[in-house]
Amino acid sequence: MLAQVLERDTRVPGDLDWALMSTETPLEGDDQAGTATPLEGDDQGTDASTAEALRTLFEEQALPYMDQLYAAAMRMTRNPADAADLVQETFVKAFQAFGQYTQGTNLKAWLYRIQTNTFINTYRKKQRDPFQGSIDDLEEWQVGGAESVTQSRSTRSAEAEAIDHLPDSDVKEALQAVPEDFRLAVYLADVEGFSYQDIADIMKTPVGTVMSRLHRGRRMLRELLADYARERGIVAAPTSSRSTK
Amino acid sequence: MTDCGCDKAKAELEEYLHRELSPEDFQDITDHLDNCEDCSTEHLVGITLTLKMQKACQEKAPEELRAAILAKLESAR
Repeated sequence: MLAQVLERDTRVPGDLDWALMSTETPLEGDDQAGTATPLEGDDQGTDASTAEALRTLFEEQALPYMDQLYAAAMRMTRNPADAADLVQETFVKAFQAFGQYTQGTNLKAWLYRIQTNTFINTYRKKQRDPFQGSIDDLEEWQVGGAESVTQSRSTRSAEAEAIDHLPDSDVKEALQAVPEDFRLAVYLADVEGFSYQDIADIMKTPVGTVMSRLHRGRRMLRELLADYARERGIVAAPTSSRSTK
Repeated sequence: MTDCGCDKAKAELEEYLHRELSPEDFQDITDHLDNCEDCSTEHLVGITLTLKMQKACQEKAPEELRAAILAKLESAR
């Protein structure tokens, strides 16, 4: 996959060894990304060329993730204008903090941490999320989950086939309907292929929380997609009688 | 060959799908899936969901965005 190709280790050129002098956790707080300005620094003489080299390195390494970060931003913000703003802000912050990034570590996860932080701190506040803060409503999904695990085998074969036949727009719409924390966990695991530990770092939650969000998020998606398939007449087999919205 | 049974397999299918199991557990589930149509069908739904999402979520950053970001980097020189 493209992501894996891009994730290959990039060795540090000798004259950029200072880039390795970073803290263990370069982005613990969102604010740090903004305050770190490695470019306006210490040695005056080489400033210009160093800054130039850093910019070139950043462009080579980070810019290839733009499409992926934009796709994630679309799923986070749910609209193109906010997604574009979010990605732009992410790249600006990442560039400012790039001196703190440890070469050879997971750049993609580092970028996703910045973008997720930025999203949570800035964009989430101004977005309405019908599920935000109403965890009780979610219990219903869990009950539904238990039901559909006991579906018959043929029903499940039909379910796989139905999911396969749904248009991409339905999948995106279903994702939009899943509450944010669950949606993010699912997106990061299934679309981006991050490990549970990476997701825990990105979302700043314990791995156990990542797992439960992932389970519940995927369960919700399955139910929504089963509904869409029924509405489209793609699947004849009945699943649960519950409504999902 | 050991068969871990449906309960363990069903409980760990998602970790199996996401490659988060130890090599031993991974092998246990693989063996079970080979022999259990019920669990392998459930696993098929899981894989289908993941692949479908990967396909549906492809996006290309708009050209204006790319240009805006490059301009920002340029001005940070």
